Amino acid sequence: MKLYRINALLLKYYYLTVSRIDRLFDIVYWPVIDLFIWGFTGFYIQGLSDVNVLSMLLGGVILWVFVWRSSQDIAVFILEDFWSRNLYHLFSSPIRLSEHLTSIIVMGFIRSLATFVILWPLGILMYSFNILQISPLLVALSVFLLTLFGWAIGLLIAAFLFRYGQRIQIIAWSVTFVLSPFAAIYYPVSALPPWAAKIALALPPAHVFEALRALIYGTPVNVRGLWYAFIASLALFIATAYFLVISFRHSKRTGLLAKGD
Amino acid sequence: MNYIEVRNLVKTFKERGKTLTAVDGISFSAKKGEIFGLLGPNGAGKSTTINILTGLLEKDSGTIKLLGFEPEKNWEYVKNHCNVATAYSWLSDVLTIRQNLKVYARLYGVKNHEQKINELLELFELKEIADRKVVRLSSGENTRTVLCKGLINDPKVLFLDECTVGLDPDIADKTRTLIKDYQKKNDCTILFTSHYMYEVEQLCDRIAFMSEGKIVRIDTSDNLKRMIKKRTVEIAVKKDVGALKNFLKTEGVDVWFGKGNNLRFEVTTEKDKMYKVISKIFHQGFMLSNLHIQGPTLDDIFIKISRKK
Repeated sequence: MKLYRINALLLKYYYLTVSRIDRLFDIVYWPVIDLFIWGFTGFYIQGLSDVNVLSMLLGGVILWVFVWRSSQDIAVFILEDFWSRNLYHLFSSPIRLSEHLTSIIVMGFIRSLATFVILWPLGILMYSFNILQISPLLVALSVFLLTLFGWAIGLLIAAFLFRYGQRIQIIAWSVTFVLSPFAAIYYPVSALPPWAAKIALALPPAHVFEALRALIYGTPVNVRGLWYAFIASLALFIATAYFLVISFRHSKRTGLLAKGD
Repeated sequence: MNYIEVRNLVKTFKERGKTLTAVDGISFSAKKGEIFGLLGPNGAGKSTTINILTGLLEKDSGTIKLLGFEPEKNWEYVKNHCNVATAYSWLSDVLTIRQNLKVYARLYGVKNHEQKINELLELFELKEIADRKVVRLSSGENTRTVLCKGLINDPKVLFLDECTVGLDPDIADKTRTLIKDYQKKNDCTILFTSHYMYEVEQLCDRIAFMSEGKIVRIDTSDNLKRMIKKRTVEIAVKKDVGALKNFLKTEGVDVWFGKGNNLRFEVTTEKDKMYKVISKIFHQGFMLSNLHIQGPTLDDIFIKISRKK
């Protein structure tokens, strides 16, 4: 891997971010709207019960951004190259797949952090909710685990894109939404029906959000659950990266990479 | 030294259970500083060959050497010294021309890239619109932008895949001149594909005719033209057009166009037949007001070769 080639693509994704209003909306608009909706909802419900619903909901909103952005940015930046029929020029250059993905992953993480930097003070300003007050260590750990999971999902979507082309681009927008009910972002796993709880416990994010809620409620954190989240996310990341490499080779055999559609 | 060397290259695609052979065991080579043309109709295998050479497509079998190296084994060197331009693929359309060139200059590790970009923008007359987004460019501007990208790393081997498709004749001619000038100045090897015969004839030192994935013949444009022995002769006579027609018939020449005093016929150059017929026309005392002999074009060669197959 060559750093100057990764930097070249970081520059490209920076240009894409600042020159497209919808790429800026990804960072600011949708997360802030989410914060408003769930913040006001939490405010209302909190008045009806003793449970610290506001912290639970806002903590979920702010941290879910890392899964959402990490996965979607990988898919969307690859799709951008499909849309402008630019894959041909990109992969006829000296860039390697690993360098391409590293640049997207880094840009995705920077964009996630940008969203976090906006939501964190906004939470304090509007709802007196400071996520770092829960536990800076757990927040940092959550960011790491959720980002790792997000990357794994992003690589999976990228693998499907390289295998089947942009005709399946709908999965780029829908996968995180499909997963979100089972991620137990805004409610405990125990609130789910048994079949859904089984799915939730198999997914790493549910364990992260359970740990967050445990700290908010002042109950013991399930450390084994966090270990599971780490191992499962890492295993998923390795598996999806492998699948992506296979899909990329497949696209070179079938001609999809050259045609770019 | 051969900068491009292809031996027994094969590429097949599987489609709905059927195996389609896009490139069928082709072999060719291009020397340093040579412009080598791949000529053929749509689906002949030209673009597939270029896609394999640029590393975008995996070959089934055969060997490739670029700059004397196998690309798989010397990826870094080969990729850094080759480049490609095609009319079928754009640069990032939401980025400006300059932004795109900056990205590619960095990808190829170009030193003093600002200077290089400005030189190319100047050369391709894009300086005025360098900060315009690619999505807002005309097809001519787009082609020149892609060519700038193709030359950003001063490639030793340049692949040009139908890069003048869709351009108006004036822009296409300017583009060909720029390519030729650049090649002369930098002594780079160009693999050029097109289905415009005159373009290939104007640019290429040697031409490979491709049809149905195979190379039918490789030669220079002049040698290829010698394959066709027939010439088209146009004659206009002041009077006695009927007598001239009859005379030509006795010489075994079929007139296949006649309007007023104008006649057009095909005659072979074998055994000096054409010269003999024309000489006899003069000796018979026919008063000619016009005589035009047209040699074969690459189109004729192409049709001949394709139909022979």
